Amino acid sequence: MDGFLFDVKVLELAEEQGEFCGKLLAGAGADVLKIEPPGGQATRRIGPFCHDEEQPDRSLYFWHYNFGKRGATLDIQTPTGAQLLKKLIVETDVLLDAQPGETLEKLGLDWQALRQLNPRLIYVSLPAFGRSGPWRDYKANDLVHLALGGQMMCCGYNPKDDGSYDTPPIAPQMWHAYHIAGNQAFIATVGALIGRETTGIGDMIEVPIHQAVSVCTEIDVPYWIYNRTPCYRQTGRHAQPAVGPEVQFPTKDDRYAIILPNPFPGGYETLVDFLDSKGQAGDLTQEKYADPANRKGRAFAEHFSDVQAECVAAFGMEEIWHEAQERSIPWSPIRRPEENAEDEQWQARATFTKVQHPELDESFTYTGAPMLAHECAWREGPRAPLIGEHNKDVFCGQLGLSPEELGALKEKGII
Amino acid sequence: MRPLEGVRIADLTWLLAGAGGPRLLASLGAEVVRVEWRDRLDFLRYMPPFAPGQKGQTEKAAAMDLTGLDKDKVQSVNRGGYFNDINAGKRGISLNMKDPKGRELFKQLVAVSDVVVEAFTAETMRKWGLGYDTLKAIKPDIIYVQQPGWGYTGPYVKYASYGPIAQAVSGLTEQSGLPAPHPPAGWGFSYMDWSGAYYCAMTILMAVYYKKRTGRGQYIDCSQVEPGIGMTGTAVLDHGVNGRHSQRTGNRSPYIPAAPHGAYPCAGDDRWIAIAVASAEEWQALVREMGNPDWAEREQFTTLADRVKHQDELDRLVGAWTRDKDPFALQERLQAVGVPAGVCQTAQDRIERDPQLKHLNWLIPLAHTEIGTWPVKDIPFHFTNATVNQGGPTERAAPCYAEDNDYVYKELLGLTQAEMDAFEKEGVI
Repeated sequence: MDGFLFDVKVLELAEEQGEFCGKLLAGAGADVLKIEPPGGQATRRIGPFCHDEEQPDRSLYFWHYNFGKRGATLDIQTPTGAQLLKKLIVETDVLLDAQPGETLEKLGLDWQALRQLNPRLIYVSLPAFGRSGPWRDYKANDLVHLALGGQMMCCGYNPKDDGSYDTPPIAPQMWHAYHIAGNQAFIATVGALIGRETTGIGDMIEVPIHQAVSVCTEIDVPYWIYNRTPCYRQTGRHAQPAVGPEVQFPTKDDRYAIILPNPFPGGYETLVDFLDSKGQAGDLTQEKYADPANRKGRAFAEHFSDVQAECVAAFGMEEIWHEAQERSIPWSPIRRPEENAEDEQWQARATFTKVQHPELDESFTYTGAPMLAHECAWREGPRAPLIGEHNKDVFCGQLGLSPEELGALKEKGII
Repeated sequence: MRPLEGVRIADLTWLLAGAGGPRLLASLGAEVVRVEWRDRLDFLRYMPPFAPGQKGQTEKAAAMDLTGLDKDKVQSVNRGGYFNDINAGKRGISLNMKDPKGRELFKQLVAVSDVVVEAFTAETMRKWGLGYDTLKAIKPDIIYVQQPGWGYTGPYVKYASYGPIAQAVSGLTEQSGLPAPHPPAGWGFSYMDWSGAYYCAMTILMAVYYKKRTGRGQYIDCSQVEPGIGMTGTAVLDHGVNGRHSQRTGNRSPYIPAAPHGAYPCAGDDRWIAIAVASAEEWQALVREMGNPDWAEREQFTTLADRVKHQDELDRLVGAWTRDKDPFALQERLQAVGVPAGVCQTAQDRIERDPQLKHLNWLIPLAHTEIGTWPVKDIPFHFTNATVNQGGPTERAAPCYAEDNDYVYKELLGLTQAEMDAFEKEGVI
């Protein structure tokens, strides 16, 4: 089966800000060639490492974010390197640029120059804050982006009874600033590829990470726009104008589960029936609660929440949520990521995939396709490239250099 | 031109995870026809915040209400600010899909559409006689995207999912918060609703590209949970390869050595600044800005490894220094000397203060037929040649209920006014 983007070539010049976007493009079937500096991208130094051996071909971070790409090394700061880069740009559809600073501009490869090289080129740039503007030169990382973007002020723990906080706002870990920006950059890139089918010409697209992150919160912005009302962070649930009842509860085995209100008609009754079937409905089966009028207000909401908490505390995290879900109750264990690999749902859908690492003579479990298609396949491999793994394919096969010329480039430290 | 000009999407989704995807496609120029029916409207139409003039439930009551929305209290379904944001750039029609005549009309819409996207429960469309085979018979190259919570295959096909559920099961909730014994802090918004929206849009775009190149449509099952799992790959590998269980690390950097790395208190009510120091240069610059305090010379803070090892003490000392400072001034000071730092910004900060977002025009004014012109979050990508913005082809905010019936039924489907009147009378549109 073809991939969706089966005839699309992508050239990636990216640090951690852009590798996720490249991974998605590769997953969608594009041929993604990652150009790394000789010695490898800095992201190869991000842990954890395979068997805890800190080597550039063993970064599990790099493995995950560069799965399915090809890799070549090239010092684009040298004149020869820059010439070779230009030749690659001529032959590519998409140039994904997520390097700090204006690396390409400094090489004379601004948008005007790029489009002259290749009028069909789609040039996608992921600057931290923007290619212009007062914060253009600000430095950030994942944490700083999630602070400025508003995620942190939405996430954290309950305030004290007087409304003040003794815990900081929290940045969910796992590079979400770059996931968000990568998703948006992917959307823009494929949109541009579709547009090019009509216009025949490329485009330059800027995806400022700060802006991508800033639009990825929920009700806090509309609440301020429409009501000038702030939202307050609270444990395990939406930041809201008022502190609401808990939805996250500890389980018998010292883990956590979440129960959301079912907003459909009959949702409340279904949950009470279920709690009752476990002998955990407390007084909620009493006649007076049959009338919705008696289920309004803070006191009832807190009581309702307490009853759920008691039920959750009586069972293990994985014990009864399936039964609840069978009754359309939105109930879920709060799992660690690794606890999903053995789940029968994901096994049935091949959500995880085994990937061969021939040089290690081992295969490992990776997260795989984010959706199920039948006409097109999500890419299943190969594993992330070793440093310079495809140098020969790229420079000899694609650009026509002789093996001697390739050897000379290596000697000069250009590849 | 707009990149998706000429692409029409029949949008049967709702909430954010569903309706957010077509929103993104509208920004790229797709004509999105949002199909709604008055008996089961999008909950967001009943949810605050509302534009002024609404007599609805107050925001505080809504936050407390765990037992369902009180729809009767809402006077107009067209005044929800959140709905307006999520559905900007779309057209809207009323159509009763439960009525056989309604489904026949829907088939006419399919015949002139490129994409059908829906987020009903598993069997709904098939029960209505609108499965992929039927849709394909009407329009051979149709792209049909279903958005189930857990996927439409496998044992959990009937399970319910909302953003917080998808976050919880995928591992994203567990990975947010202070280390145990603190509970997970989780997410203060439906991150996986946004992600659901992104992956819905991505799926449709990939399929539209493929169709442009090959002429072939397809069916795709685009679950809400799986993209969440896809973001946890490093932790999954660390367990599979090294046998290590993932841990919450609060605001500390789990994999890239850095310290100080966290949110530090500032002057004001609940004000914090994030500071992330990894390199020696950044550390030295921070020490200079702090006025070279004696404690910074201590042996326990000499190297990065030392600073990481003694983070508790380091955080206390840095926090003692930031505590009486204005967060915005401090951000400017630290950034000026190359230290990555940023205020933990509220919505108010981003809307009223952030000069970079203002420079990027992150909010654009869009007209809404009932509530007038309000700021709406624009798409965060800036095209140079193509026209791309959240107004989409309608150059408008979200549709009022049934706002575009005339355009869709008359202009696209060729109905007469008399036919429309009859359908309206019968409760079909």
